[in-house]
Amino acid sequence: MGNIFQNIISKSRKKSPWIVHFDCNSCNGCDIETLACLTPLYDVERFGIVNVGNPKHADVLVVTGSVNNRNVRALKNIYNQIPEPKAVVAVGACACSGGVFKECYNVLGGIDQVLPVDVYVPGCCPRPEAIIDGIVMAVGKMDEKAAKMKESRNLEAVND
Amino acid sequence: METYLLLAIAILLPVLCAGLCSVIRGRTGRSIIVTAALLVMSVVAVLLVGRITAAGGKLALGLESPIDFNLIVEILDIALIVYIIYIGFSLKKMLISTLASIQLAIVLLFEIFGSVKEPEKVFMLDYLSLIMVLLVSIVGPLVAVFALGYMQEHEEHQHMKKSRQPRFFVIIFIFLGAMNGLVITNNLMWMGFFWEVTTVCSFLLISHDRTEEAVRNGIRALWINLVGGIAFVLGIVMIYSVSGTLAIDEIVSARPGAAFAGLLPIGLGMLCLAGFTKSAQFPFQSWLLGAMVAPTPVSGLLHSSTMVKAGVYLVVRFAPAFAGTILGTIVAVVGGFTFVVGSALAISQRNAKRVLAYSTIANLGLIICCAGIGTNIALGAAMLLIVFHAISKGLLFLCVGTIEHGIGSRDIEDMQGLMKKMPFTTVITVIGMISMLLPPFGVLMTKWLAIEAAVHLPIVLVLIIIGSAFTVFFWAKWIGIILTMSYKTSMHVEKLKVSVKTALSVLTLFVLSASILIVPLFNTFVAPQLSMDALGDASSLTSGNGGIWLGNGNTLNMGGFASIGFFIVLFAIVLTIPIFIRRTKPEKIKPPYMGGENVNDDIRGIEFTGPGDKVESVIVHNYYFKNLLGEERLTLVVNLIAGAIIMIMFGVVI
Amino acid sequence: MKYLPEIIIALITIIAAPIIGGLLTGLDRKLTARMQNRIGPPLLQPFYDFFKLLGKEKITLNQTQMVYVLCYLLFAIMALIMLVFKQDLLMLVFILTFSNLSLVVGATSVRSPFSKIGAQREIIQMVAYEPVILMMTVGIYLTTKSFMIESIFQHDQPMIANLPLVFLAFVFVLTIKLKKSPFDFSTSHHGHQELVKGITTEFSGLQLALIEMTDWYDLVLLLGMISLFFAKPLWVGILIALASYFLEIVIDNISARVTWRWMLKIVWLFGIGAALTNIIWLYARR
Repeated sequence: MGNIFQNIISKSRKKSPWIVHFDCNSCNGCDIETLACLTPLYDVERFGIVNVGNPKHADVLVVTGSVNNRNVRALKNIYNQIPEPKAVVAVGACACSGGVFKECYNVLGGIDQVLPVDVYVPGCCPRPEAIIDGIVMAVGKMDEKAAKMKESRNLEAVND
Repeated sequence: METYLLLAIAILLPVLCAGLCSVIRGRTGRSIIVTAALLVMSVVAVLLVGRITAAGGKLALGLESPIDFNLIVEILDIALIVYIIYIGFSLKKMLISTLASIQLAIVLLFEIFGSVKEPEKVFMLDYLSLIMVLLVSIVGPLVAVFALGYMQEHEEHQHMKKSRQPRFFVIIFIFLGAMNGLVITNNLMWMGFFWEVTTVCSFLLISHDRTEEAVRNGIRALWINLVGGIAFVLGIVMIYSVSGTLAIDEIVSARPGAAFAGLLPIGLGMLCLAGFTKSAQFPFQSWLLGAMVAPTPVSGLLHSSTMVKAGVYLVVRFAPAFAGTILGTIVAVVGGFTFVVGSALAISQRNAKRVLAYSTIANLGLIICCAGIGTNIALGAAMLLIVFHAISKGLLFLCVGTIEHGIGSRDIEDMQGLMKKMPFTTVITVIGMISMLLPPFGVLMTKWLAIEAAVHLPIVLVLIIIGSAFTVFFWAKWIGIILTMSYKTSMHVEKLKVSVKTALSVLTLFVLSASILIVPLFNTFVAPQLSMDALGDASSLTSGNGGIWLGNGNTLNMGGFASIGFFIVLFAIVLTIPIFIRRTKPEKIKPPYMGGENVNDDIRGIEFTGPGDKVESVIVHNYYFKNLLGEERLTLVVNLIAGAIIMIMFGVVI
Repeated sequence: MKYLPEIIIALITIIAAPIIGGLLTGLDRKLTARMQNRIGPPLLQPFYDFFKLLGKEKITLNQTQMVYVLCYLLFAIMALIMLVFKQDLLMLVFILTFSNLSLVVGATSVRSPFSKIGAQREIIQMVAYEPVILMMTVGIYLTTKSFMIESIFQHDQPMIANLPLVFLAFVFVLTIKLKKSPFDFSTSHHGHQELVKGITTEFSGLQLALIEMTDWYDLVLLLGMISLFFAKPLWVGILIALASYFLEIVIDNISARVTWRWMLKIVWLFGIGAALTNIIWLYARR
């Protein structure tokens, strides 16, 4: 019985990734493409993807732009507020590696300097199809993350 | 004979205690007196319940003694009015002296030229009086017990050099005695005397602190209630001139029929007007709001079981006399109007005591509205509401007083996070508030009855419906604020004075038990009283009237659920709280979302990084709609409307 | 075992209502997508969301949040069961208020500006629709002489014959109750996110799942209340209820959001006005 329930949950996880979109330091090119995914043409809701705009409800953190000293705090804060299991998708060249801003004095580099990124969507800017593909790939990793979450919880229980 | 003794104790014991308080000025002695008074008065009240039930629900007693008690009361009455005139002179308020003089003139003329036939039965006890006696004798002394601890702190806060507590308790006890007398007596003149005693006592209590504001508000209370007093004596004169008796039971049981003409309706209208002033209906509400400057036990007393309840008692007592007439309908409109406007104004208030005051005014309005509707269901609702409102509101005032001493403010916004500082008081306050607006507690049940009763009067119905929507608004805001809390690893244990804690706990117990035992309460007290009143629609007492429990046997059938089941569900939910508290682990706690700008990992999340890296704290206030429902904006208009309605009332009955 | 049939009916209600409500919500999302020229999520999407939320980490802000969510859920179920057993309508409305109030208190119990303001707006919404719903019950009382839902089914005429304006007013406030645009300002949906997620901002995981489920119960309950207007035969009522739901979806998609001032004005003027007119004419006719 518990097994069936777990299966349902695991299946649902793949069908309902809610995203929160955070614009770090982007030139807005990637943001426009990300939001374009919501339009009738691409219609991400087909895959159950909803832009919830609230980390407490989200499963996937979509980050555009590179991290700098100003926004690293907010980025970490938002990441921390997303309940497990969660995934991070870096959208665009800047988010992946820092892009053209990589060597700037105030830029830390790509998102992976701060957060564990699961999927890199390269491009300047990436096409909406690529972004959707990235999110769906991130969703594929959810089960693995959930298992990890469970493991750490069990560990806690043992430690208690 | 023993019944006389009980009645004498009910009225005179408080007076005796008052005497003792003025003689024994030590703190210990006072505590003993107050506690003893609480015990004796509650026992007497409970014994009286047995008497009345044995006597079949109504007990009328005459006094056969060589002493002419009527004369004594008359002399006391006149002395009291003279004392009021003296107050007026000493405060240089000619208005008060004038009003009191008018009253004196009427009383003297009536006594000398009226050749008054005093009724033989001086005391009359039925279930309505009994409910009031129970409230006065149990809730009243409980408030006094609370005051023991409170007044001490209060005087510390006020930095008083010489304690004025003896005076305070003397007045409180006289007040309680007068209230008991007011509800027990069967002689209208006596009632008038006790009425004046409560007026004077309330003046003395409100101006107790002797600050300029306190005295000003005391004076306002005095003159408004003196207007009511004049209406009262005028009512007595008019009714006596028609019916030739001062016995309340005879006046009430005289059915209005063809005889409902001439001076009788005006007389009854005058009595209602007196009731309106005493229970602070619009446009007479300002004295009750002013009374908020007094120490909290005073507000607790004035608002719950005494003073304002005297007004509604009067209206409910005489309701059968004008049931079903146009006078009744307009009284219902006055009450309903007060209910709506009181609730609306409560929304705009930030001061906790003022919110409670407006809520009191609104609920009294609902009681008067029910009395005006005058059917069996309506009067039942009025009687039940008197009980539930007295207990819940008494509790809430005491809670606000405790909170005020705890956090040093009575502003609702300052109560945010109260759970951290005063968990015990917070929980009790929330119980009190919930009992004012949610099922399955008594106040909502009576509101339900009121709506059922008002169905045939569309105007009144609309007023009740809109009023109850407003009610939800201000209570919900307040509950939300005081329940705001962040994660706590351990609960702070609150230190309260024993007397304060006792009074709060006992009142909470009463709130819960009264609501749980609503059916026995209805069946033993309300239903027999209604059947004695013998109003027209007796069938509604016996037929299973929808979801209402009238005649449905011994279980309150709350729309398919026995109400007791409802309580079980509630308690089950409450019991889950400790489970959640135990199972909530610190590592699962996250701070609130603030756009990623939380200053640090502080789980309370009360600070965020603002522009220019400045640390700012989060302040979210409730909506108060000052521009829409503010006092400045509404008071004048609603007073005019309310005054107009009362004018119409007299215009119609003349 | 005198009450066995009742218990079974109650159990069926408790299980079936969220399934129906969830499917209707799925249908809503599908239809909304079609109206926006999109393909939209699968019909079972609300259930996927629900189960996903069950599998999330159970984070919380304080110890009491979950209690309020449970109150919200349990009292909504209670109200629905009262409807199924055809009990007192007035009490049902009060219990529904209780349920809503728990959510409001739950949202204000945390120190989050978004959820607090959302809760304030929710209270304003309650003040707006409560009078209309209460007047609906009164209108039904004036027609059937009883507050019991049972009596609606015994009455020989459908309610709509006597209460057309009350019905319109009720459909009007249904928009508020279902939290649809133009009155969705306590919990934002669609792209409206000026308050993040308003009243539900600080609920996550299991708590949010239970709130969604309660919304499904509420949906079934409200549609049930609509069908009361056409009871006899019941299937007509259910069809009309579904039609009203479709209407709500259309309104949701064609209207921009209003401010609370507008809402109060519109609802009190037209909603209460219409209901009151209806009640007065019923009263005058008797």
